[in-house]
Amino acid sequence: MLAGLAGEAEPYRRLLDELSRLLRAYYGRRCPPGLDPEDLVQETLIAVHSRRATYDVGQPFTAWAYAIARYKLIDALRRARLHLRAPAEAAEALFVAPEARGGAQAAMAARDLDRVLAGLPARTQALVREVKLEGLSIREAAQKHGMTETAVKVAVHRALKALGGRHGGELGGAAADAD
Amino acid sequence: MAASWEARPPMRTEELIRSLSTDLPAVAAGTVARRLALGLAAGAVASAGIMLAWLGPRPDLALALATPMFWMKLGYAAATGLIAALLLARLARPGTRPGVLAVLVAAPFVLVAAMALMRFAETPPPERQALLMGHTSMICPWRILAIGLPLLAGAVWAVRGLAPTRLALAGLAAGACAGGLGAAIYAVACDETSAPFLAVWYTLGMAVVAAVGAVLGSRLLRWR
Repeated sequence: MLAGLAGEAEPYRRLLDELSRLLRAYYGRRCPPGLDPEDLVQETLIAVHSRRATYDVGQPFTAWAYAIARYKLIDALRRARLHLRAPAEAAEALFVAPEARGGAQAAMAARDLDRVLAGLPARTQALVREVKLEGLSIREAAQKHGMTETAVKVAVHRALKALGGRHGGELGGAAADAD
Repeated sequence: MAASWEARPPMRTEELIRSLSTDLPAVAAGTVARRLALGLAAGAVASAGIMLAWLGPRPDLALALATPMFWMKLGYAAATGLIAALLLARLARPGTRPGVLAVLVAAPFVLVAAMALMRFAETPPPERQALLMGHTSMICPWRILAIGLPLLAGAVWAVRGLAPTRLALAGLAAGACAGGLGAAIYAVACDETSAPFLAVWYTLGMAVVAAVGAVLGSRLLRWR
C-alpha cells in the first residue's frame, strides 16, 4: 500500500489483486441473496482506490480495508432495502394472472407485457415468461436452459428490478389496476 | 439506470484492478488534514461574515481584549472546537476508534465548570441568579447554533470527501467542532462576563450544534 500511495503501479496492482481475493471470501459469506458479491468486491476496490488518501500509514492495512468493506456491505444492504424491493414489487403486478382480469384488460396487459419485455435479452424474456406466467418452477426453467437454479433466480429478479427501474411510473399504474 | 445489466458483460475484476493501477498518481501526505482545514476555514469565513453582518463585534471590544474573561470565553470555545477537529480527522478515516480524544473533548468544559463553581461559591446567593443568567441566556445558544451551521456545512463537505465508516459518531464530532469554533466566533460579539454563564449557555449552544451533527451525520456523511 505504501508503494501504491507513492504511485508505484506494479506493487499496487498486486495488492489490489490480493485484496480482491480476501474480499471475495468476505462477501461470499455475507452477501445477501439478490446481490452479486462480485459487484461488492468491485465497489470496495474502487472505494479503496479513490479513498486511499485516508489510509494512515501507522494503521494495519487490512483493518482499514475491512472497515471499508463493512461500510460497503451496510451501504448495499440499505440501498437494497430502499430501492430494490419497491420496483421489484411494482413489476410483479404485471404478472398477476392476466386471465383473472377482464378480457379487454387482459389483452391490454398482454400487450403491455410484450412491450415491456421487448427491452430484455431473448433468454431473459423467455425466463420471465416461463417462470412468472407459465408457472414453470425455477428448477424446470433451469433445466430447460441449462442454467443453475441460482442463475435463473438472479436473472429473473434482475429483470424485474430493471423493469421496475425503467417502467416505474407505468408499473405503478398497473399495480393500482391490479388491486 | 439498470439497463446495462446483461446486455454488456460486467467489467471483470481483473480489468478493473488493471485500470485502477495504471496512471497511478502519488498521494500527498496530509491529504486528510488539508481537506478538513479547507472545509473548516471556508465555514469559518462564512460564520464570521454572518456574525459581523448580523450582530457585529461587541462595541467595547478594544477594552474587552484586556480582560481575562474575553480570552476565557474564546479559549474555552476554540479549544473544544480544535480538539473535536482532531477527533473528526480521526473518524474521517475507515476503521478508527475515537480513543482518548473523545475524553479530551470534554476537558475544557471540566475546567470551565470548575471555575464556574468556584465563582458561584464566592458569590452571595441573591446574586447567583444574575451571574448565571446574564442578559442573553435565552438567545445565546441559538446564536451559537446559527453561527455554527456554516462551519458544520464545511466540516460535512470535507468529511464526505474522506471515508468515515461510523457516520453518526463522525457527525457528532463534526457538530462539536462546528459548535466550538462557532461559539469562539460568537465570543467576539457576546458581552457576557461570568464563568457560570459560559459553563451553561455556551456549552448548551455547542451541544445543540453537536446534536444536529450527530442526527444529520448518518445521512449527510454517506459516501460512495
